[in-house]
Formats: sequence, structure tokens, C-alpha cells
Amino acid sequence: MRMLLAALVMLTAPALAEEGLTSGLSQDYLQITSTFAGSELTVFGDVENPAGQETRDIVVVVRGPDALMTVRRKDRIAGLWINNARAKMWLPAYYFVTATRPLGDIAEGETLRRYELGLNDLRADVTASDGDARPYIASLVRAQKRAGLYIQADSAVEMQSATLFRVHVPIPAAVPRGSYTVEVYLFRDGDVVAAQSTPFYVDQAGFERRVFEFAHTKPFTYGVFTVLMAVALGWASMFLFRNRV
Amino acid sequence: MEIYLPIAQMSVQWPVVLGLGFAIGFLSGVFGVGGGFLLTPLLIFYGIPPGVAVATTANQIAGVTFSGVLVHWKRQTVDFKMGSVMVASGLVGSAAGVWLFAVLRRMGQAEFAVSASYVLLLGWVGAIMLQESMRTWKARQEGKSPTGKRVGQHNWIHGLPFKMRFRQSRLYISVIPPVVLGFVVGILSAVLGVGGAFLSVPAMIYILRMPTNVVVGTSMFQVLFVTASTTILHAADNYTVDTLLALILVIGGVFGVQYGVRAGAKLRGEQLRFLMAILVLVVAVGLLWQLVMRPDDVYSLTAGTP
Repeated sequence: MRMLLAALVMLTAPALAEEGLTSGLSQDYLQITSTFAGSELTVFGDVENPAGQETRDIVVVVRGPDALMTVRRKDRIAGLWINNARAKMWLPAYYFVTATRPLGDIAEGETLRRYELGLNDLRADVTASDGDARPYIASLVRAQKRAGLYIQADSAVEMQSATLFRVHVPIPAAVPRGSYTVEVYLFRDGDVVAAQSTPFYVDQAGFERRVFEFAHTKPFTYGVFTVLMAVALGWASMFLFRNRV
Repeated sequence: MEIYLPIAQMSVQWPVVLGLGFAIGFLSGVFGVGGGFLLTPLLIFYGIPPGVAVATTANQIAGVTFSGVLVHWKRQTVDFKMGSVMVASGLVGSAAGVWLFAVLRRMGQAEFAVSASYVLLLGWVGAIMLQESMRTWKARQEGKSPTGKRVGQHNWIHGLPFKMRFRQSRLYISVIPPVVLGFVVGILSAVLGVGGAFLSVPAMIYILRMPTNVVVGTSMFQVLFVTASTTILHAADNYTVDTLLALILVIGGVFGVQYGVRAGAKLRGEQLRFLMAILVLVVAVGLLWQLVMRPDDVYSLTAGTP
């Protein structure tokens, strides 16, 4: 739906207004090699044929692949805190949004919701075991923000001239591999007049990631390997201490 | 000094983990128990997810136990027949335990089940150790030599069918008690990440009436195979074995055991057991506290599990 809207805007925008948008990425393939540092992506672009002096705004959104996530709620049962209810939801594994100004100043809530701009406007496909899904989504957003996976940066779009803009998007090491999309929206007087969507791919190559992949793709072999490693170390220690005990 | 654990998906201070492995190895060197029943809860305290703590501790025990088994093998203090019977049922128990753990995990109750079981287990073991050490301590002060329970020649075990001869242990008993014991230890190993020596050693002495000199070697033999199987099954079913965490713990552990064995020879047993009992009870109370206190956030995100 969201993609469709973006596509629709892209098709109709040039006809509606003379203004257009060109944007690009520093790379379309991102490899994260260190688990500590993560990586960074630069989104840049140009507003074409700026017309007049109207207020113009740029919003940049980066979305990771959707993932099924489970949030559980603890309740006090017989004096103990036990997981008692849960909600499962599909939400992007990574989400970054920023604009030239705070989002609330750029457009109406209705418009922001339609394009899912902002952490409070993410639409989740939720099944909660007890009615109200909102606290679960809010808790998930909190957890993802703490992990650096959901970012809403205020006014991080740098205008280098009247028409040139640039955004640095931090990609933490914990992001899953897969296809991501960068969406750039051009707003004029609170309405989207142009939009562009560019895909890019994230891959991970660090040692820790290779261990993770090994454990998940060949779990049995991984288990055997881990046991052999532990046993070999235990055995080696015998030789080390043979003369000292 | 930070290192990222690929399966636990968190950064830890590796010197802390190494020190923890050393401390637990030291304690097991002193007391002759695996120490898994302390390592798992301490890892949980440190923030390692309970599933990873359980499975990785099982792996650490397998590594640290291996050298012990070799020593006992050389001294011919392993009853391989008894050990094999217990390993066979232990493997079934470990598979059942890993399955049970996976079910609890899907229900979102694995964390609670592990913590609650540990509160009961540590409370029980700690109380017994405290009582025993104080009794021995008092007896020594009064100048009496500490005496164990008088053991009769026959008990209910001898009434059971399917008898088998265990030459090394000089026993002719039913296979049912060792099979049941092996199975129970297998489940405990899978759900709690323990070797189970704290249960199997007393059971082998008091219930099976095995000669004391073969008990420790045979128990280690069984612990090695059951924890190895638990590790592999947890890796295959729950993806919870962290190689890097295990590596650091084993390195710390093997050094700790060597120093622990030497220190244990110099220290007075009942005083050490008294201190150990206090430590065990403190950990039990700490875990209970976590279950009773209102958590910071009643909502929690379970990563990676549907």
C-alpha cells in the first residue's frame, strides 16, 4: 500500500507540479564487517526546478525488511511476575526517519500516517492475546529505539544549497541482512509533490556474524563443533598442568 | 575489554566472564562438583539470556569434565557398565528436557521456569549443605568423629526386577534405579544447564550403594556424555549455544579447577562447605527477589523467536 502510494506519487507528481526530485545513495550494497562500529549510509539529492518561495520540505525514510516480533507482558500471579500475555506483530527490523524540520510542522497527522512517517505512525499487523495492541507496539518501539534500530532524528537533513540536500543514516551492526528501501519525499505546503524510492542491500561479514550464521544454518554441526572445542580445551589443559599438579 | 557474543547478541566484559569461569572452576576443584548450578544463575544475573546461559553452561561442563574423566579412567575408578546404563537413559532424559525447554520457550515461560527451578534447587541444596556442615563443625568441636548414616545390607532396591551385574562396583542390582537416575539427571541437565553431580553422587552412594572410589569417576563419565548431548540438542533445537562465551568460560574453568584442587587439599572441608552453602543460599534469594519484585518494564521483546 505504502509502496503503491509512493509509486503513484512518482507517476503523477511531474504532471501536477513542475518540481521534481533526484536522489541517490552513497552505495547500494552495504557490508557490515565490525560488530562494534556498524556502518553509515549517505542519502543525497537535488530538488529540481524549485518554483517560487513556498515552504519546501524533504523527508527521508529508511526501512529494513519486515520481521515477526513477539512482545510479552508480565503480570503478578501469586506474588510472582510471570509472562502472561503476548502480541505478535510484523514491523520493519530497522526504521530511520528524518526531515528538514520536525515532522509535525511539515504535514498534518493524517498525511504522516498515510505515508508512515514517524515512529508513532508505523502501521503494524498485530495479533494481541488481550485486546488492546497499542501498549505492545509502544513497548516494541521503545526496545528498538534502545537498540538503535529505530531512529527518529529531528532535522537531520542537511541543505547544502537551496536545492542540494544530504542525510547521514547510521546503520547499527545489529541490523538483519536483507533488502532495505530509502524513500525520499518532497513536501510543499504540507502535501507530497514528489517521491523517490531506492533499494539497497545490507550484508554482514564479521566473525561474530559468521558464527551466528553457522549456528542457524547448520545447528547440529555447530553443536558438535562447540562440544569438540570445549573438550579439546579441557584436554589441552591436562598437558599444561601435567608437571605442576 | 568488551567482546560481542554472537548468539547471546550482547557485549560483555570478557575479563568478568573469564573470572566467573575461573571462580566456578575453582569451586568445583575444591568441592568436586561441576559448579553448573552456580554458573547458570550467575550468568543470568550478569544479563545473559537464560536460554543461552543454560545451554552454554552445559557446554562448559562438558569441556571441564573431560580431563577429569581421563584421570579417573587411568586410575580405573570408572564403572563403565554402570556409567553406560546411566548415559543411555541420560541421553533420553536430555532429549526430553531440551524438548520441554523448547515448549516452555514457545510459551514464553522458559525464563520463569529456569529461575523458579533454581530458587527451589539452590534453596534445597544450600539448606542441606548448611545443616551438614554445621553438624560436622559442631561434632568436631565436641571432639567426636563425624559419623555418617549407618547403611544396612539390604534395602528396597533389591526387590526390583531386571537385575544386572556391575563388576567394577561389585553390585548385582536392578537396572531400574540407575536408569531412572540417569533420566532425571538428563532432564535437569537440559533444563537447568547442570551436570547433576549434586544429585547423582549422593544417589549413587546412598541408594545404589556403589563403592565411594568409583562414584566420582562414574558420575563424571555420565556428566560428560549427557552435557555434550544437551549442548548439541540445544544448539540444534533452540540455537542457544554461544561458542565464544563457552570458550572464555572453559579457559577460565580449566585453570580454576587446577588451583581449586590444590587449595581444597589445604582447607578444612566443613568450613568451606559452610561458606559454599551461604553463597548458594544468597544466589537463591537473589533469584527469588527478581521474581517477586516488579520489573522495570513489564513488557519485553523476545528477539528472534516467533
